[in-house]
Amino acid sequence: MKKKSTALRLRGVTKSFAGLTALDSLDLDVKPGELVALLGPSGCGKTTALRIVAGLEKADSGKVLVRGEDITELPAHKRHMGMVFQQYSLFPNLTAEENAAFGLRMQGVGGAERKARALELLDLVGLSALAKRYPHEMSGGQQQRVALARALAVEPEVLLLDEPLSALDAKVRTSLREEIRRLQLELGTTTIFVTHDQEEAMAISDRVAVMSRGKIEQIDTPDVLYSNPASSFVASFVGNMNRIPAQFDGKHAHLLGGKAKVSNTDSAAPTSVVALVRPENIRLFKPAHNAKAVADATVLNRSFLGPVSQVTARTADGHVVSALLPTADTGDLHAGDAVAVELLAKQIMIEGSNA
Amino acid sequence: MKRLGFKLPSAGLFIAVLLAGVFVLLPLGSASEYSFRTPALGPGTYGWDNYAWFVSQPDFGTFITLSLLLAAVAAGITLLVLVPTVVWLNLRGQKLRPLMEFLTLLPLVIPVVALAIGAQTSLPVELQSNQYSLSFFYFVLALPYTYRTLDIGIRAIPLKTLSEAARSLGASQIKVIALVLAPVVRGAVIASVFLTIALSLGEFTLTSLLHWQTFTTWVTVISQSNILGAIALSVFTIVAAFALLLVVGLVSIRTKRRQVTEE
Repeated sequence: MKKKSTALRLRGVTKSFAGLTALDSLDLDVKPGELVALLGPSGCGKTTALRIVAGLEKADSGKVLVRGEDITELPAHKRHMGMVFQQYSLFPNLTAEENAAFGLRMQGVGGAERKARALELLDLVGLSALAKRYPHEMSGGQQQRVALARALAVEPEVLLLDEPLSALDAKVRTSLREEIRRLQLELGTTTIFVTHDQEEAMAISDRVAVMSRGKIEQIDTPDVLYSNPASSFVASFVGNMNRIPAQFDGKHAHLLGGKAKVSNTDSAAPTSVVALVRPENIRLFKPAHNAKAVADATVLNRSFLGPVSQVTARTADGHVVSALLPTADTGDLHAGDAVAVELLAKQIMIEGSNA
Repeated sequence: MKRLGFKLPSAGLFIAVLLAGVFVLLPLGSASEYSFRTPALGPGTYGWDNYAWFVSQPDFGTFITLSLLLAAVAAGITLLVLVPTVVWLNLRGQKLRPLMEFLTLLPLVIPVVALAIGAQTSLPVELQSNQYSLSFFYFVLALPYTYRTLDIGIRAIPLKTLSEAARSLGASQIKVIALVLAPVVRGAVIASVFLTIALSLGEFTLTSLLHWQTFTTWVTVISQSNILGAIALSVFTIVAAFALLLVVGLVSIRTKRRQVTEE
């Protein structure tokens, strides 16, 4: 059945605010049980898209379909969505249990059943012990867990997460994002997760939609986005990227004393371009006395990141490059050391030079 | 400037509180002492005679009831007009906030005399002849305080997010107001209502200029015939107003402590 293959579908959704286009004919398909992240810089339209799905904003044009049913004109309270907001949104006059039961109360579910379900959800997020606590008696992470339980209690058609982790500290953020993924997989809830944190998006999503200027630039699995970005914007936004001046011969980019095939070949590209190279595709090493260095550089800094270290160096022609190396290989690299730079990537992307 | 750092040392704080206490309590204490004197029973005697005197006045009950009624109507106007306005401003009318700030400051800027003359020249006669039109003026005069009390209280609450969260969970607009917004803004609403009542009960100038008689104007008249009774009445009024403000204060503290959490 075609209808069931898509839990949520956006078609040509356009929205402007005071003449500024927030969404530009956006199309999106989300499969049942899938977690799709909308990732992008501030103002790219990701939250607007989510709010239109929730019914909290009205699209200027386009359609929103849930399991094939057009809900574009349906008010928010009839859409049967669950939403977790960036800002703490628990009702302050209700306990955690009452908060979790709120949606069920709106659905007319009886008291006993409501309570049982609320406690079940609180248990799922590990907070059954805090059922009688008010929001002000809970930490930010706990509040967001309760908000998640509240959103899931109604068994929503789509779970909408609007940067729910951004107000939390790094440690809580990591554990809660894993918990969101665990719950989402366990309950099989179709989920849209809005974030500007690419690490967050890549860590828990089935697919990531990278947005820019109200459009989806690319939607794919995290692996594909990282290894095979469709545009230089996606390449730059997803993961870290060195931007190194290079010479383009129509097929290859020449840089750092080596060359790599260009994946986004554009015959109109100028000769002088900027090559986009991931830090793990650059190697910095102390050259053997008799070895010929690929390119010369001087180490500027080494940052210990655990099993890997990030080393930055300035090349002989004055460009700063960053390399991600196994920590074991960086022990003899210190600031001021002369090193050789080697380009490991066989294929890279380029941008027109802005030099 | 260090003095503006608002972190007074405990000794400084103590002295400040002491001075404030003396400033408030000394005149009140003196007046109280005076109000209990019963010179008719001999020098140095004390009793409740002066209080009994004003309570026994035939118009005491009439005017205190009238003032309470006028205050209640003014509070009702605050509830019906100001509360929805401030909630709406916080939900959707952020751009109108400066205008509202300006408008609600006007009662402080415009002299009461001007307000009275304006009322007498521009209000329809039917309204002018209705004593309850005073309630509307009390509401207006209280606006600089009630608006800010409400706005600060409500602004501290993420009303928009709470309202959207409720809507996304299936609550209709009426349920959003009844189950979410009303309970969380209750503290700020109560505080502004009490302020309206306190101001209404104590308002004299406008009432007098508009030639109406309420409890405050009656006090002025009655005080001319019995000086000790008038002092007793003043003490009674101050204590009653203080008690009312204490209630407002307690409600505000409760609201702040719970940061929109109650019950």
